[in-house]
Amino acid sequence: MPVSFIVQMAVSGALMGLVYALIAYGFQLTYATSKSLNFGQGELVMVSAFVTLSIMGTGLPYGVVVLLGLLFGAALGLVVERTGVRLALEQKSEGWILLTIIIGLFLFSFAENVWGRDDRPFPTPIPADPIHVLGVDVTGLELSVAAGVLAVMALVEAFKRLTLLGKAFEAVSADRDAGELMGISATRTVMLSYGLSGAVAALAGILVSPITTVGPTMASALVLKAFSVAAVALKKTGFGVVVVGLLLGALESLASFYVGSGWREAPGLLLRLLALAVRPTGVFGKAVIRKV
Amino acid sequence: MLKRLLLVRGAEVALFLALAALPLAVTSPYALGLLTLLAIYGILLIGLDVTVGYLGQVNLAQAAFLGLGAYAAGVMVTRYGAGIPLALFVAGGVATAVGALLALPALRLEGPQFALATLSFTALTTTALNELEWLTNGAQGLSLKLPPLLGHALSKREFYWLCMLGFAAVWLAMRNLLSSRWGRAFEALRDSPIATDAMGVGTYRHKVAGFAFGSGLGGLAGGLYALNFEYLQPHGFQYELTVILLLGVVLGGRKSLWGAFVGATLVALLPNLLSNRTLFLAFSAAGLAVAVVAGARGLLRRTLRPFQALSPVVATGALVAGGLAVQNTEDWRKAIFALMLFSVVVGLPEGLMGFAGQALARLFRVAPPPLPPPAPLDEVLPARRPDGSPLLVLTGLKRWFGGVRAVDGLDLTVRAGHVHGLIGPNGSGKSTVINVVSGLYAPTEGDMTLRGAPMPRGSLFQAARVGGARTFQNLQLFSGMTALENVMVALHGAYRVPLPLVCLGLGRAEERRAQAAALALLDFVGLLDQARTPARDLTYGAQRFLEIARALARRPEILVLDEPAAGLAHPDVVKQVELIRRIRERGVTVVLIEHHMDVVTQLCDVVTALDGGRKIAEGTPDEVKRHPKVIEAYLGAVEAAPAAG
Repeated sequence: MPVSFIVQMAVSGALMGLVYALIAYGFQLTYATSKSLNFGQGELVMVSAFVTLSIMGTGLPYGVVVLLGLLFGAALGLVVERTGVRLALEQKSEGWILLTIIIGLFLFSFAENVWGRDDRPFPTPIPADPIHVLGVDVTGLELSVAAGVLAVMALVEAFKRLTLLGKAFEAVSADRDAGELMGISATRTVMLSYGLSGAVAALAGILVSPITTVGPTMASALVLKAFSVAAVALKKTGFGVVVVGLLLGALESLASFYVGSGWREAPGLLLRLLALAVRPTGVFGKAVIRKV
Repeated sequence: MLKRLLLVRGAEVALFLALAALPLAVTSPYALGLLTLLAIYGILLIGLDVTVGYLGQVNLAQAAFLGLGAYAAGVMVTRYGAGIPLALFVAGGVATAVGALLALPALRLEGPQFALATLSFTALTTTALNELEWLTNGAQGLSLKLPPLLGHALSKREFYWLCMLGFAAVWLAMRNLLSSRWGRAFEALRDSPIATDAMGVGTYRHKVAGFAFGSGLGGLAGGLYALNFEYLQPHGFQYELTVILLLGVVLGGRKSLWGAFVGATLVALLPNLLSNRTLFLAFSAAGLAVAVVAGARGLLRRTLRPFQALSPVVATGALVAGGLAVQNTEDWRKAIFALMLFSVVVGLPEGLMGFAGQALARLFRVAPPPLPPPAPLDEVLPARRPDGSPLLVLTGLKRWFGGVRAVDGLDLTVRAGHVHGLIGPNGSGKSTVINVVSGLYAPTEGDMTLRGAPMPRGSLFQAARVGGARTFQNLQLFSGMTALENVMVALHGAYRVPLPLVCLGLGRAEERRAQAAALALLDFVGLLDQARTPARDLTYGAQRFLEIARALARRPEILVLDEPAAGLAHPDVVKQVELIRRIRERGVTVVLIEHHMDVVTQLCDVVTALDGGRKIAEGTPDEVKRHPKVIEAYLGAVEAAPAAG
């Protein structure tokens, strides 16, 4: 087995890992503001991809199609927040876990019946021909994934640091009550985070679909792995998820080759359970000092 | 008493008699299959309710445990020629063991993390069942044949009776368990995990035990499932089934055996409901009617928010509209589950049986069984003869939070039989000292000994086990439980009957003795007449007294009271001073943090004053009150003070 082949597999896997990182980033956004996340995020990714595909059928230019897809994702994120999360947050309960699972189930069934159960190709103007970079073949598609993921994460991070709205976002993340006392509406900030998270999920769907094709089950595996990435990444910013996403992607690609393709999902799941065992104080956060 | 027996037990007996008699009337194999499935799902849902209802966690692993149990039984039968009892035993055993292994890391987590861990476990189990072909035959499926029971080949009807027997046994075991200390511990740890640990009950071990028990029931159900269908495939135990099971528990009603039964009925009948369009339309129209009535009532009485009242109407309305518009309702199966679950979770959080249970309780008003007379206090809280020797000794104790030195090198000796006061301005480190001593925080540095032996560090549970007990500045009562139950949770050394015997119902005599003992303590603090009042409905003063009674149930050697008089009205303060005196007379050593100086002066043998995490003065209350450093700490330094005189 030539080393270059192993490197090739690791690189392809790592580029896919960036998609996990992007979805994990969507989790981080909502978890920061509300300590909640959408268990049906995978269905959001998938439905957004399908809707984008349908819009593409109208013949609009690709850029406009993508933009509309992102807007749809954001809108769906807001729907999830309104129907599944807000009530539970108001009651300070963890009901949102069950409710977001339910919404995901509904979206899955909806997609199954509206767009069918079969996987469909997702056309894209980006060329799929391999490009030779530093002894490794990468396709334009894979590069577009990397570029899209990094660009959007940089954009959101810049928004959080540089705009007033972004600073309000950070304030509510740090301390919801203190933010409210300073006149920031926590509810609106949570809405904003869900909207952003939805747009990020839609982008993940649009980027990954040309590679994996679109189908109702396309995202359930992606999301489990994104959970793993979010669990292992330490920091609240995008950097941690990118590093862990790259690593997990590479690891998976190698595992599926050496152990068997059925075990493709195993590294992510094991990583998750391991992360829980090693760092029980909090998957997304830091150790909290208990007060009585 | 008789009425209670007739109504509550009578309903259960009637249910199981009816279920046992049904196959005599219904002979179609199809209906018999449904009834068998109902019994299996009943066991499965009772198991799931342990985590979802009693531990209050979203558990997405129950389908995986069903699968594990099913495959364990299947492999036992096909490979090792095991009989029914052995196969079922292994099925339950494997699931219990794996459940415990999963729970050890997973239950250190809360809420979403726990849900994620169980979700990952379900995915991993499906992968393993698919890929371990040498054992499970992979995606091709595993065929087995129902072995004879004691040499007798079972007919389908007899197998149904076997499943129903299992369901009835699990029901009984669960009922016995829930009315024992285990049920109370589950209830307590949801209300206040910190207090549960501080009362020496062990939050974590009860959670793990509960999860393993529920998983074991899942495995047992899986064993029956395998023997019933005689064919297994990995994809039968995936995420979708987990969600359907959750639907069953939530719709039936959490924390209810009847709820599990109703949920199981629904889950077993669901496929039929969906394939028959008229039935489905009737059912969803009924759901819509309930949602409209309940929503309107809730809005008028202002018990529901508009969202809670309206969204179930929208969801059930979508069911009806969808039922009319869509040709094949089975294709929309998952969306239909989702809409049903959504309506129930939002509009009827206690589920059908929770709702019906409240209505029935109002209708019949069954009196709870009478309480025994209080036990003699000397049995419950035996008087000690303290000798005044050093009991609790702290040497060089430090606790830093990052750069904040909350306690910074404290030496303290509390003598047996004393009431030892800790005073100091806010932020002087008093609360941190007792949080370290009681095990909430581990000390950064320093030694703590109790009667010469080193104290456990950083574990509320262990600290409670060696003889410490405490109350909390911000009350940590088990607010949903009665005063009596609050004390019974903490009762030390009262429960000796092991878990299996409790399940068999052999813990009742012990339970009566525990009630009597707890009543004696309630009497001691003056709350005997409120034994049946839920803790949250007690007055604030009574809640403070209840916390003391609960701490005394530990039979502590040393009792730590964290600002027990804070916020009390004057008459209650007087009562409390008198109570603490009586506690001391029984030989219990007391460490008292208090801001009321008159309380401190009246009660304390020795007072230690803290400031900035260090000791600044120690002595009798009067000596300390006059100490210049104490005056400075409370009032600030007086610049260029004129000479006293």
